[in-house]
Order: sequence, then C-alpha cells, then structure tokens
Amino acid sequence: MTHPLEDRLRDAGIACRVERRDRLAILIPDNAAMDFGRESRLQALQMAREEGFSHVSVELDPDGAPLPRT
Amino acid sequence: MPRGYVSRMEPTAVESLVAQKESKLIDWVRDHRSIMIGYSGGVDSTYLAVIVRQTLGRDRTLAVLGRSASVPSELAASAERVAVEHDIPVQVIDTSEVADPRYAANPVNRCYFCKSVLWETLVPMARALGFHAVVDGTNADDVAEYRPGAEAAREHGIESPLAEVGLTKSEIRQLSLGHALPTWSQPSAPCLASRIPYGTAVTVERLGQVEHAERALRALGIEGDVRVRHHGDLARVELGATVVDRWLEPEHAARLVAAVRGAGFGRVTLDLRGFRSGSLNVLEGIVAA
Repeated sequence: MTHPLEDRLRDAGIACRVERRDRLAILIPDNAAMDFGRESRLQALQMAREEGFSHVSVELDPDGAPLPRT
Repeated sequence: MPRGYVSRMEPTAVESLVAQKESKLIDWVRDHRSIMIGYSGGVDSTYLAVIVRQTLGRDRTLAVLGRSASVPSELAASAERVAVEHDIPVQVIDTSEVADPRYAANPVNRCYFCKSVLWETLVPMARALGFHAVVDGTNADDVAEYRPGAEAAREHGIESPLAEVGLTKSEIRQLSLGHALPTWSQPSAPCLASRIPYGTAVTVERLGQVEHAERALRALGIEGDVRVRHHGDLARVELGATVVDRWLEPEHAARLVAAVRGAGFGRVTLDLRGFRSGSLNVLEGIVAA
C-alpha cells in the first residue's frame, strides 16, 4: 500500500516512491524521467507538508549517474 | 542645510544604536577587570575576544578553545590562527564530552552535558589563574532559542555580555566587519553532533563521517550553509535554499553523490527545502516547523 503522498506526487507527474522515516519523506525517483526543477520541488514540498512531513529529501542516484530528468 | 537633508557622513540611527551597544560592551568588559573567554572561533566569541583584548590588554585576557571530535578540525585550526593574528592569548584544551555516556547517548539536552564538561574545566582554571570572570559568546538572538547548554552556563556562573548588552547576530557581524575580522561573514558552525538525530549515539566514527562529507562538499565549491545530517545508512544534505536547484541538476548531483559517498554513506539524499538551523529539532518535533 503506497503512502498518500506518493499517490499525490504521481498524479502531479512526479514519479517516485516515498520512503517514510517518521516526519522525513525520502523520494526515490522511478527509472522514468522525472523533472525536479524548481516548480516540481516546491510542489513536492507543499504536498509533503500537507501530508504531515516536516522534511523532504530526494535520493540521488547511488551509482552517481545523473538524476532522471525530462 | 535644506530641511530634511541628512548628511551622508552622519551615522544612521541604526548605526548609532549598534555603536552604543558596543560602547556598553566595552564598559562591561572594563568593569570585569580580567576575563577568560570560552572561545570557539565563531563569529560571536571571536568578536568578544577581540573586544576583551583591546580593552583589557594581553595580561588580562585568555581565550580558551575546546578541541574534540565534535569540532571540525579546520574550524579549530582557524580559531587558533585568528586569535594569534589579533594578539589574543589562546589556550587549547582537549575536551572529552564524547566519552561521557550522558552526552554520547545524544538526548534532547545533549548540549547541557557538553557545556557542563567545558565549564567544569574552565571555571577552576579561571580561578587558579586569577581571572575575574568567565564569559561565553551567547548573543541576544540566542536567548529566544532552544539551548540546553545555557542551563549549564547559568549553573557555572558563566556570563554572556553580548546578550546582556543586547547585541544581535547581525549586529555582531556588522561590528566584526568594522574591526576587519575575517569571521564577520562566517556561516554559523554548530558542533558536528548537531548532525546526528537525537537518540542515535554520538560516536567518533559518525562525527568523522559528517566532518569528512561536509569538507568534501566544500571542496566542490559549495559556499554558505552546508550540513550533512546523519540518518544511519543515509546522508541528508542540506544546502542553502538558493543553490538547491543547481545541485539537483544531473551533472552537479553526480559530483555531490561522489563526495558524500566518499565519506562512507551508502545513500545520499538532498533536502528539497535546504538548510534550516535546528533542522533536527524540527524533525523531532521539539520546535515547530
């Protein structure tokens, strides 16, 4: 069962899994291209705040490869 | 002069107010005859140490710098250098707060135990050397914040003249610039333990990881506030809000990941909001977001 934040983000075109650590939301991008420009970033912050998170972090590719972008 | 004309040579009202506060500080220092300063090399304690030195002279001034795994080694080195450059007598002591299990357990009032260790060393030292007062660099803005270390200061009779005369952080930076101090624009530098969530043990290894990662990020050219928050296997990097978007760009993100993974973190994340002072206090719900 996905977290409501994940559903909201996907609906907004931000394709990622949400890993919850208390009040920290870790966004893990899908392999699909994801735009994390300023607008998406602010949107994600707003949604996360509404879902009760105090912090939102996006995981950067562990292999050091570029973050998926449109 | 035409009515309403203000000479550009006259200080503004704000500048006059700040000058008055500095004048009060100098009077305070003079009244206390000889002063030992709990010195960190940060903006506040450096400014205070300079004022004490200029007012009382070398023989009645001593800056004591605590060194431990909680203090970035570069900051400690820089603090010593600045003191020497401004002819401030400085003594370095090794503090061992990490060895104190009450501190290492990393409770919400961790700073109380850290400062207790510091003042338990400095106060007897001051007494033995004949210093009239022991002071710290607490400023007027600090008074409103959550600072468990302040209780330790009160218990040991430590005085905070910057706060007492009402000097704020921005005013201290302004005055520091006027005194040509290199610290005037220095980012705030809380101890490395502030990167580790409460309840997660503070260890020399974790402190070293955080220090290594932050140093590596600065080596990439990132200026301003940089924090690497330690969440076990995962690092959460906080940068100044104005640069977050840049470091999300693919070519920059790759460099950031490499830098932080080099410090031993398996996963690297970038906080989307950016640096927040007391971020872990917010995460734990100790203070409001």
